[in-house]
Amino acid sequence: MSTKNIFKTAALMKEMMKNYHESGQKAKKEGRPVAWVTAVFPVELIYAAGLFPYYPENFGAVAAAKKIAHELSAAAEGKGYASDLCGYARCGIGDAFSEEHPVGRILEPDLLFCCNTQCGSLPKWFEVASRFYDAPYFLLDSPRVGLETDRLCIEYFIEQLKEMIKFIEKQTGQPFDYDRLTEVLSLSNEACRLWNEILDSAALKPAPFGFFDACFHMAPIVTLRGTREAVDYYRALKKEIDERIEKKITAIPKERHKIYFDHIPCWPKLRWFSELFASKGALVVASQYTHSWAYSFDLERPLESLAENYTHEFVNRCFDYRVRRKISFMKKYNVDGFVLFSNRSCKPSAFGLYAKSKLIREKTGRPGAVFEADMSDLRLFSEDQVLAKLEPFFEQLN
Amino acid sequence: MKQWKKESGGKAIGFLLSDVPEEMIHAAGFFPYAIVGGSTNLEEANAHLQSWACSNSRSALARALEGELDFLDGLIIPHTCDTMRMLLDLWEHLRPLPYMENFRLPRQVNRASAGQYLVGELERIKKGLEIYRGSPIEKGELQESIKLYNQNRLLLRRLTELHNHSPNLINSRQLYTVINAAMIMPREEVNRLLKLALEDLEQKPINESSAQYLPLLMSGTLLEPFEVLDYLEEFGGTVIADDFQNGYRYIEADVSTATDPLKALADRQLKRIPSAVFDIEQNPRRYFLTGLAKEKKAVGAIFLHLTFCEPENFDSYDNLKAMQDEGLPAIRIETQFGGAGLGQIRTRIHAFMEMVGGESR
Ligand code: SF4
Ligand code: SF4
Repeated sequence: MSTKNIFKTAALMKEMMKNYHESGQKAKKEGRPVAWVTAVFPVELIYAAGLFPYYPENFGAVAAAKKIAHELSAAAEGKGYASDLCGYARCGIGDAFSEEHPVGRILEPDLLFCCNTQCGSLPKWFEVASRFYDAPYFLLDSPRVGLETDRLCIEYFIEQLKEMIKFIEKQTGQPFDYDRLTEVLSLSNEACRLWNEILDSAALKPAPFGFFDACFHMAPIVTLRGTREAVDYYRALKKEIDERIEKKITAIPKERHKIYFDHIPCWPKLRWFSELFASKGALVVASQYTHSWAYSFDLERPLESLAENYTHEFVNRCFDYRVRRKISFMKKYNVDGFVLFSNRSCKPSAFGLYAKSKLIREKTGRPGAVFEADMSDLRLFSEDQVLAKLEPFFEQLN
Repeated sequence: MKQWKKESGGKAIGFLLSDVPEEMIHAAGFFPYAIVGGSTNLEEANAHLQSWACSNSRSALARALEGELDFLDGLIIPHTCDTMRMLLDLWEHLRPLPYMENFRLPRQVNRASAGQYLVGELERIKKGLEIYRGSPIEKGELQESIKLYNQNRLLLRRLTELHNHSPNLINSRQLYTVINAAMIMPREEVNRLLKLALEDLEQKPINESSAQYLPLLMSGTLLEPFEVLDYLEEFGGTVIADDFQNGYRYIEADVSTATDPLKALADRQLKRIPSAVFDIEQNPRRYFLTGLAKEKKAVGAIFLHLTFCEPENFDSYDNLKAMQDEGLPAIRIETQFGGAGLGQIRTRIHAFMEMVGGESR
């Protein structure tokens, strides 16, 4: 995201996210249950049930972007939660134990819902939170999926969705509204479709939009997926991007290379990274992370299709699947090289990256680099170390 | 192991802890071989596993990369945590074996869906083993193996009882050494030897001086390093109860022989003692541990915390607090495979034992 080049819709998003947080506060006041959920979670059910979904991971990302994750984390570490746990979890647990709330208080849950497709850290963190806030917790368990479609896993997930609906009905005292679910799913479909069209614009050369823009604009697809607001927002963004294409406004001044990046950004250093890449004429165009929200639900089979989409998300897949997917993105966006982020916070995305990097290099013939840092904690970030990996990579591109 | 292979011409299937249904591997006619610890040459493993991976996964992978596990024909890695989940991928990529499987345990254990799914997953593992062996596993074979393993667990529990009553006859180090040796030996042979030893030991009168040992509860993912047990004894302590994957968790639960074997295996799994690697609301493990400590009259608890073990770390605060709430002194000691920091561990155990009133011997 070039700093001079801010999207008009950015203001719209700030407004929207402000409203979202305000309605969370309002829900709390009015006694509408606040439900903690995880990023890759069938939030459509939560919206359909009229609960307010809150994303503690997002709280962690905000603390990280404000460069204070380590301060919140210290409160958790003081209680024996190690500094090697996921940074988001440390921020959330830190906020619970902390007297000070530099990013505002986390919104306390009335109910907690977690899906473990992403990782095993979230369920453990949510368990801790459920004890701390004394709120009921529901885990949607998804076994790891290999290369093929996994019926056993899908069936298991469907059973749990049914259990979850019963759990919600019991908690709210209301029968679950399946018609409302269909509406929510169709809004989700529409937002996902628009989001992916927007992401696709990064394939143009030069492109009006890249990964760092996507990191900025992805909050609604994560938190408001399933609402009218998200659809309206991405329509507006899409329109603005189309205008930019017409006016030949590009994401970075001189695009010479396209880069694939995995997977989450380093939040406190987002600007630093985007300027570094831009200064090399390199536009990051895709990452599994921003491309995660590509769901497509069959409205005739809501539960089945929720199960199919969420269990078979890339974060829950095996090594070979992930390598293939990275390579297919690299081909689709015609990239010149790839950068993989070995994120200390995130064992499931970091372990295996060196082997993956080697394999991708062999299969694509493109240069690549792996760097080590943390997505949120500045104590685990060294500009010099990152540059030592990236500078030689940029040279190879030329 | 190599000798066993030569003599029997059989195949060996390795597995990582915990909770892999060895009964099934055995029923298929293969040798279930537990991979715990070992390896000091970590160089190649370090190139693939970042520095913040636990030493359990690192040393296991290192053994494979060094060729120390070349006798294995297959491998089952259970999904107990993110590290294990990624380790299977790496292993498959770096040292592929003819048979490799991921045992995908359900992470929740309280709802009906968990049981249904687990039977399906066991069925899937069974089919995979059958394909590898080239013929179906008969129900009778599985039942025989279940009986064999039940008997093994029973004998190991008897040995544990004996240790609890008479740490002079069999001390902590000896007990856990036997349990860990059983994991890598033919079970028929282990049972035969255990029976002989127990017959002999159970004859011996209870030694009065056993009462001088202070009973301690130990808890953690894995018991390692074993030197901890020596230090404990040196400063007047003995382990009276534990929940280690290579300790009591390995031997506590039997499989019913009265129902369908797959269903019985699933039931056993869901009823196992609580562990950090499953996500159970309210962390019942902390109360399980305090209950156990009280029942066995432990004077304190030592938590062994493998550095970078994430599931364990998330529960750690609550577990320590639960002990303290019960008035039981408790400490957490960071440990690693590979013998690092032994001096410091000894110092901490010494200080803790002094606090709970132990005497050096
Ligand atoms: S960063 Fe990784 S470990 Fe942390 S919550 Fe996200 S997926 Fe889980
Ligand atoms: S449960 Fe803990 S010790 Fe075991 S592999 Fe996972 S992180 Fe390592």
